[in-house]
Amino acid sequence: MKENRLSSLTLLRMYLRSFLLQASWNFEKLQNLGFVYLILPGLHSLYGDEIPAEVCKRHGGYFNTHPYFAPLVAGTILRLEARSLAGEDLAVDAETYKSMVMAPFAAMGDALFWGGVRPLAALVGLLVASQGSLWAPVVFLVLFNLPHLVSRGSGLLLGALQELRAIETVQKCRLPDLAIRLKESTTILIGVLCAYLSFKGCEHQSLSVVWGFALLPVVLLFAWMAHKGVTSLFLVLLTTSSLLLLALVF
Amino acid sequence: MVIGDYLLAGLVAMLTGLDRVALVQVMISRPLVAAPLTGWLLGHPMVGLEVGMLLELLWLGRLPVGAAIPPDDTQVAIGATVLTLSVGPMLGLHGMPFVILAVLIAIPLGKFGQVFDRLARHVNDRLAVSGERALAAGRTRVMERYHLLGLASFSLASLATALVIVLVGSLILYEAAPFLIGAVRKAGLSLQYSLILVGAASLLGTINVNRSISLFCAAFTGTLLVLWLR
Repeated sequence: MKENRLSSLTLLRMYLRSFLLQASWNFEKLQNLGFVYLILPGLHSLYGDEIPAEVCKRHGGYFNTHPYFAPLVAGTILRLEARSLAGEDLAVDAETYKSMVMAPFAAMGDALFWGGVRPLAALVGLLVASQGSLWAPVVFLVLFNLPHLVSRGSGLLLGALQELRAIETVQKCRLPDLAIRLKESTTILIGVLCAYLSFKGCEHQSLSVVWGFALLPVVLLFAWMAHKGVTSLFLVLLTTSSLLLLALVF
Repeated sequence: MVIGDYLLAGLVAMLTGLDRVALVQVMISRPLVAAPLTGWLLGHPMVGLEVGMLLELLWLGRLPVGAAIPPDDTQVAIGATVLTLSVGPMLGLHGMPFVILAVLIAIPLGKFGQVFDRLARHVNDRLAVSGERALAAGRTRVMERYHLLGLASFSLASLATALVIVLVGSLILYEAAPFLIGAVRKAGLSLQYSLILVGAASLLGTINVNRSISLFCAAFTGTLLVLWLR
């Protein structure tokens, strides 16, 4: 055994490795190798060069969580490993903890990042792009990656420092509520974007803006169809073929 | 476009393809970023921006959760940008109507991305088995190598998707563009906006939050009134 605390360098290496968590994503055990790859610097600092085979095997099982929350799980796991190595009695061992938290963190991350932050950042980017500005991709990347990178870094530190109490800290952040607020903001921005496009369309066709309101039921109909499982591809084919046919006929 | 441009586009396809799942995930794989980046490297960033705008919302509501594989909008965006810049000048066609046509041809070909992505993950199944074996033997360095090899399968899958979109898309465009470009020009702005609006509607339909319809209607009506009355 070398030391039971994780050095800053080890944490930095783990942070960087977290960007490769899903390099070997597979159907069988999803992120299993990625998780071991992520915690290896920490395991080396605990066990030295020769990590016992049973420790490696223990962490190589099925693993699936949101990639941005994986560093938090990894930080906590290593603290639990360190305490177990020091001979302390643990209320929850590393393996049980991993299986307990990966699904809730996956659900929380999916709702927050894929369902909340990403669509919101994309819509802001699109509104910038609609003005013909090449800053749109930069705006999108900055808006999305600020919370992303902070989440990875703070998660790792939180797990490594607070161990099991990290879950309480995350709970206090009320991330599911934040995800809902972000989704509501996205919905508002969708409305703003559709209205803007409708206005520009009327202006271009020299029509009264009143005609722009006709777009509202059309978008709602398509949204209902999408909600019922109609694919975007089908909707694209439906609208574009209708518009092309109209253009050919008239 | 010269050979070097195609190689550059292939490199972007592989790098941004990795960003979808395997590496970093800073979202350079989103059409709004990948297409302008491709366009910029090929000397026409505005073409890329136009492509990115049309495609960004289309599959944004499809979450990359668990084993779900959404259509490859990254390669559709890159492919459509390359098609616009390679086939357009050869046919003497340019401008927004040709961008729309290239995007419309590229969109269905995005389905190939799902096939190649699935294939890459099956290759990774084998890597994972070998990696686990190395792990059980305590050979962590070997396990790391197997893990990183997964990047190769994902990047090759992305490259294959981009190739299919560009090759098949070029053939279709050569044949169909002379017939369709007139209708696309005539439909013009409505066709351009319809793609964005379908994306917006798809996102709205899958956003899964209470009051979404009332919030959308209020924002739509309020914005249109403000724009009308200002």
